[in-house]
This record gives sequence, C-alpha cells and structure tokens, in this order.
Amino acid sequence: MSQRTTLRVKTPPGFRVDASSLLPMPLAAMSVADIERMVLPAGNDRCIVGDIFHVSRNEAADVSEAPHAGATLVFENAEPWLDRVGARMTDGHLVVHGSTGDYSGFQMAGGMLHIEGDAGHFTACEMRGGRLTVTGHSGDFAAGALAGDMEGMTGGTLTIHGNAGARLADRMRRGLVLVGGNAGDFAASRLVAGTIGIGGQLGAHYAYGMRRGTLLLAQRPAHLPPTFTEGGRGFDVFWALLVRSLAIEIAPFSQWRTASLPTRHAGDLAVDGRGEILVVS
Amino acid sequence: MSRERLSKGEAHTMSEPATLQINGTTIDATFAEAFPMKATRLVITAHTPAWAMNAANSLTGFATSVIGCGCEAGVERMLPAGQTPDGRPGVTVLLFAVSSKELAKQIERRVGQCVLTCPTTAVYGGIDAETSRAPLSDRASLGSGLRFFGDGWQISKMLGDTRYWRVPVMDGEFVCEDTALTVKAVGGGNLILLARDIDAALAAAEAAVAAMRRLPNVIMPFPGGVVRSGSKVGSKYKGASASTNDAFCPTLTGLSAHSELSAEVGSVLEIVIDGLTDTDVGAAMTAGIGAAAGLGRAAGLLRISAGNYGGKLGPYHFHLHSLAAGLDGSRA
Repeated sequence: MSQRTTLRVKTPPGFRVDASSLLPMPLAAMSVADIERMVLPAGNDRCIVGDIFHVSRNEAADVSEAPHAGATLVFENAEPWLDRVGARMTDGHLVVHGSTGDYSGFQMAGGMLHIEGDAGHFTACEMRGGRLTVTGHSGDFAAGALAGDMEGMTGGTLTIHGNAGARLADRMRRGLVLVGGNAGDFAASRLVAGTIGIGGQLGAHYAYGMRRGTLLLAQRPAHLPPTFTEGGRGFDVFWALLVRSLAIEIAPFSQWRTASLPTRHAGDLAVDGRGEILVVS
Repeated sequence: MSRERLSKGEAHTMSEPATLQINGTTIDATFAEAFPMKATRLVITAHTPAWAMNAANSLTGFATSVIGCGCEAGVERMLPAGQTPDGRPGVTVLLFAVSSKELAKQIERRVGQCVLTCPTTAVYGGIDAETSRAPLSDRASLGSGLRFFGDGWQISKMLGDTRYWRVPVMDGEFVCEDTALTVKAVGGGNLILLARDIDAALAAAEAAVAAMRRLPNVIMPFPGGVVRSGSKVGSKYKGASASTNDAFCPTLTGLSAHSELSAEVGSVLEIVIDGLTDTDVGAAMTAGIGAAAGLGRAAGLLRISAGNYGGKLGPYHFHLHSLAAGLDGSRA
C-alpha cells in the first residue's frame, strides 16, 4: 500500500533549515512521533521537526499523485528557508507545495522530486539520477557543480517550467535539463556532455567552453558564440531519436517533430569542439 | 557441409503413440532434439525498407551453421516505420551462437562490415528486458566497439537509460545503440521431409518455411530456410566431426545399413529452426508440419520425421505427434 507522510509548515522558524534528512523512504519507516522528534540542522543552530511542521500520515494515499512510488512525502506551505529538500534522495516521491531554498535535489540519485513553486540556487546540483520538476523558476547553478568540483549533473532529468538563473548546467556531464522559460548568463558553460533544452531566451556567454553535449534552442538566439561553426547535416537519425525521447516532456520540446530538422552549429572550438547547438525555430 | 546437430535416424527409439497420418502423410513417432544457445535480436533501420533489407541480408549471409560460420542468423521480419526506435522502416534479425563470447564477436564483425557500411542504416538492440520471455543472458557490445571507426569524431549520447553512438560517415551519421541485450535461446529444432521426388520435397519445404516465417522469434538459417545436407555425428575419416546422413540419402537406399528410406522416397529435405524459446521453436515446428502435411500424400509428401540423438544430448525434445495433435486434416 502506498504511504503518504505530510509535513505542513505551521511556524516559520525565522532562519534557514537543512531538510536533507527528510526523505520519503526513511520517513516511511518512522512513526509520526519519531518524525516530530527529529532534529534538523539550521546553520549554527538546530530545530525540532515538531516545532516547525505539523506531521500527519495517510496510509491510503492518493496514488494518482505518486503512481510509481511506494512512499510519498509532501511538504505543504513550503518557503525558501527550506534548504536541501530531496538532497541525496534515492527513491520515493517527494512533493513540495510552495517554494524551496537552495540545493533542492542536491546529488539526488533516484526517485521523483516535484516542486510546485520556485526553487533556489544549486537546484539539482550534481544530480545523478531520478526526476526533478520545478513548476516555477529556479536560481543560479541549476544542474551545475559545486565550486571546485569537476562535474555537475551526471544523470536524471531536471525540468524547469519557468526561468533558470545563471550558470545553468555548468560542467554538466550527463542527463537531461529542460527549461521552458529563459536561461541566465553562461548557460551550458563548460558543458562536458548531456542534453539541455531552453525554450526561451538566453543570457550572455551561453555554451562558453562547451566540450561536448547538445544544447537545444527553441528560439533563434540574437547571436551565436564566435567559437562555434556550421555543424553540417546528416544528423536526422539522431534527431529522430531525440525528438521521440522528448515526446513525454514539457512544451515546446514535446511538440518538436522529426520532419523539421534544426540548424546545427558545432563547438566550442576553443576546447574539444564536439558539442552542438541545435536551433529548432 | 551442414551442421552437427544431426538427423540420426537410428536414435529415435523413445516410446511414442501409434502411427499418425495427416492427409496421408505419415508423422513419425519421433522427436527433434534441440540445444541451448545464446541469441539476440537486432533492429536495423534505414531510409527505405530496401536498404534496411540490404543490410539485413548482408549481415545474415554466410550464417547457416555455427560449425563453419560462427553463428546462425536470419531475417525475422520487416518492421513498419512506426515500430522502430527512430521511426524509419526496419528489419529485425536474429543471431544465435554457442556462447556469449562467440555471439558478441559475430555481432561486432557482422554489424561492422554489413550495417555500418550500408547506406543510411542505423542499428539497435531488439530484446526488451521487460517483455522478453526468453531468460536474459548478458549484454553484447554493439556500438561500444564500432565507435572507434569515428576516429575521435564519434559522439556518445544518452537518451533515457540508453546510450547511443553517433559515428560520422560519408552519408551523415551511423547511429547505433551501445550494447545489445542477449538471451538464453534454443537452437536445432528440425523437421525432415521425405517426399516422392524433388519437386514434391521442395513444395513441402517451401510451404513449411513460409508458414514458419509468419511467426515471431524464430529463424530458419539455411538457404531459403531449407538444408539438403543433413549430417550425422562422426565420419570414417579422421578429423571429420560430421558427415552425410546416409540414413536419409535416397541414393544409398540399398547400400547403407542404416537407411530409413523406403523405395518410394526419392528426395529428403530438412528444415532447421532456431528460436528465442522452446515454445517458439515448437510453435514453428507445428506450423511447418501443418503446412507441409496440408499438401499431403497426394502432393508427394510421404513422411515427416525429425533428427535427434536419442534424447541424451539436448534438453529440448519436440515430439512430432504432440506438436501435430491439434492440426487439421484427415487422420489415419
């Protein structure tokens, strides 16, 4: 039977709280009383779950909200002081009604994290697997790497319905990132590999230092990076595979068709030069 | 030359029910004996069905018997554009080998020489881990070895959980999946058709093969699906592991002490069947018996038999009477 645990914010603490220990599967094995006694890091301070959240348990959960998960954790009335939601999550289904702080889905390896609101900086930072959806906007460094780390996102799917901040997918190596809105400066910078789709406009210096990987643009950019060249033709089979894989994702990516082949540009020639920008419009 | 899995007439001595005839054709009280093999399915797509078939025919060429060819392979069926990974028309082929190592070697060689080289083609693994009824074995290299042809220009691409390789070639890109899933399969199902003359034998064999080809998960690896050089184990000559199956050679009717042929038998042909599961092989044999026996004695098909080793070597036994139990036709 599917189990749903709900944490509804009753008293904002007035400081930032690390929610990385509040994950669906571990909490499913705990009683409500035990959950309420959990201690959460909060900077140099600590706080008790029961002081911040009203905890409830529903054994007969609405399976339509988590059709593939045995355990569901729901945050209600979440606010940006809640950091590291779903960090290092490996399975289960985590739903956030409201907005989250920084590091949502940090190093997430599996399961589904659904944020019905905005997310802060470093969303899906160094994500390894699973699916993370943000229905609002996200901050900087989404799907990127921590400062000093070599690799950003290495697996899974990040979908941002709104806009993404700067340094989207910096040093990303594998996986899929889709942004329905605009992306800030340095999108897909230092990209090692992976696929990034951007539905709106781009900031400055996009694809800077892009070694490999695919950057999909639904709108023709104002200018192309000077270190990119015409990428030739003959990639229609790959395009067909890609379009088919995007059919289940958000618009405009799900609406692309195999017959309309995009314009391809290859680069960044300043580095490896095997990346590609595909302009679909 | 032919394969080592033999039609060995003297060996089928296990107890069987009384004589069975369908439309005057005798169904022998015997069984076909088959063996475990490793197999995979590849999906080859191309710009047109003709080019997909060109690649498939090339890949499955010289793949009649594991003895001399390394693997047994054949075209399974054509795929319409809507049923392939890239939405183009395609062909599925099945490859069978005696070991995972040999299968992997044959896949890499044949795809590298016959699919990579063929205009517009792409190739994907065709075994679905979730729906396969055959037990899964391991993964064989597909693009992971062929990618080096790209000389550094090749691109790896993960879409979902599947890794593809994009290798630049002169007509664009050769796209292939990184690996192909393999399964534990069954090889060596067989039917032996004994006819009045070559015309009747060919007609029966062609009808049987046509019926079998309508079924999924099986191939008949010999030319046209039919083999005339059935063999037995061993030889009078040192070093020859197999030799002609004298028990079924019409020119040796009065000479071979092992002859199984009556004076009225003028020609014998065999159909060998490899399948992903024993159920698939059995279904194909049933279809073959039905089609051949449907022509009946009036068309010159006198008997249907099968080859075995007395049941001591292969774990899969396909008893002809059981397979033919539900077939239509007049009985005797």
